[in-house]
Amino acid sequence: MIDAYKRLMNVESPPPPKRARGFFTDTSLCIGCKACEVACKQWNQLPADGFAMTGNSYDNTGTLGATTWRHVQFIEQAKANSSRQDQRWLMMSDVCKHCANAACLEACPTGALIRTEFDTVYVQQDICNGCGFCVPACPFGVIDRAPKHGQFEAGTAHKCTLCYDRLKDDMTPACAKSCPTASIQFGDVEELQERARHRLAELKARGETKAELYGMPEGKEATEVGPLHAFFLLLDRPHTYNLPDIPRLPRQTMAQRYGWSAAVGVGFALIGALVFRGRR
Amino acid sequence: MWTWEVPAYFWLGGMAAGAYVTASLAHGFGSADDRRATAGGYYLAAAALVPCAPLLIADLGRPDRFHHMLRIFKPLSPMNLGAWTLTGFTPIAFARAASHAAGTGLLRGPLGALARLVPTRLAELAGCALGLTLAGYSGVLLAATNIPLWAKSKLLGGLFMASALASGSAAVTLQAARRGAPDATLHRLAALESAASAGEIAVLAGYLTQSGRTARPLTRGRFAAPFWLGAVGAGAVLPLLLHRLAGGRRGRALQSLSAVASLCTIAGSLALRWSIFEAGKDSSEDQSASFELSSG
Repeated sequence: MIDAYKRLMNVESPPPPKRARGFFTDTSLCIGCKACEVACKQWNQLPADGFAMTGNSYDNTGTLGATTWRHVQFIEQAKANSSRQDQRWLMMSDVCKHCANAACLEACPTGALIRTEFDTVYVQQDICNGCGFCVPACPFGVIDRAPKHGQFEAGTAHKCTLCYDRLKDDMTPACAKSCPTASIQFGDVEELQERARHRLAELKARGETKAELYGMPEGKEATEVGPLHAFFLLLDRPHTYNLPDIPRLPRQTMAQRYGWSAAVGVGFALIGALVFRGRR
Repeated sequence: MWTWEVPAYFWLGGMAAGAYVTASLAHGFGSADDRRATAGGYYLAAAALVPCAPLLIADLGRPDRFHHMLRIFKPLSPMNLGAWTLTGFTPIAFARAASHAAGTGLLRGPLGALARLVPTRLAELAGCALGLTLAGYSGVLLAATNIPLWAKSKLLGGLFMASALASGSAAVTLQAARRGAPDATLHRLAALESAASAGEIAVLAGYLTQSGRTARPLTRGRFAAPFWLGAVGAGAVLPLLLHRLAGGRRGRALQSLSAVASLCTIAGSLALRWSIFEAGKDSSEDQSASFELSSG
């Protein structure tokens, strides 16, 4: 019966799972060239965002968005009247984290957001109806809805696909392919995690005491959203890079929220029954 | 993204649900007078539901794909649950209203005959369950995000529920007062509406306490006036006082005071949804509040 239904509705079975793929972005190697941003835009045919200047930083990209799936953050760390030696310029190529427990995927009411055979999170453009709920659900502010009357895929949600089309053909995603310093490394998540641990130990030994990994299974940031399949080596605390200490997964507190709501509703019904009772 | 259609829909959907539940409580437990005076609540519920689906659809990035919400059933997503709830509650509310219209002779012919077949008690029970879901899910939906103002406290769902029930019972009171309902019924409706308003104030106090500094975009920002004066003052405190004032009165004085109080509650309910919804956008830009939400 189910088989007949599937034949009737053209339901295809999902492709068999592959090894989880992801990014290890080592910010200690980033030189801020933005080749990743450009390669991403070219491959995914994303329109330019114009030449607006933020005016307070060399970071003129600003944020990730519907048409910006890689964002090279420039973080100027300079105190007033400080010497050259005290100043520091941090760079970090931000991207969708492809969380193990993705808030956007759980929020999606249409099933447009899916987990692919590569364990990445992907928006099916032909399913998304632009409800926009994934946008405030994401704890990193990654996913975004394209303007309703714009030129580019109007009205639906967009974010990094981890170059799903390239992955299908065993190719490296565009950003990692174009990165000239191997700051963005692509591969099997487990292997990348091992590589990241070695790199951290190496940097610590060289005196980068504040360096830390963000998005590893053992990190506290994985408490709710799980390990990030695009994870980072940072040179300062996560807040410096605008990353949350513990990214929240809305599902964790949802039952409690429904519970309070139901309690108010039931309380009202009981009071109503008492108010009207026995006046037949 | 997310414009005025959203709070308007939350307000109307909540009021429809509240009116349906109030009328059903009166029909389940009240006197013949209570039933007669509150049956208009079923008409109000159906009327308030008419613009709900269009508002919900208009806010989508791709309105032509609204039905994609219904291609799966995924209660984990409040957005999906809400779409299904609205889809289920709307026909029930219309059927119950039609059944009343057939009973009073307003709806005749084959449609009237069809409407007489509606099992009213079952429609009331199922409608109350779906209505309460519709009234409460909107707050949970906003709270199931990472917007600090919406997500920090656990009580936004409860707050929207209380506000929906207050405005819904107020809508029933308003039509009962306008149609000159018996004093005893108006007193009972006022008691119920006051209980909802008092509950709303209590839940709101809890919400603001739990939110702490995170609530600043609502309590101090550009939405302070609509929130404090509109939602709290005119929407909850004033109706409580007016209903108290009306407590010892009868006839026309009671009807007028009840009507004014109910109008205030209904307007305040819109002010509450709108100010919390809009202030959430300011809250999303508040980096320290975001870090507070994610601090462990």
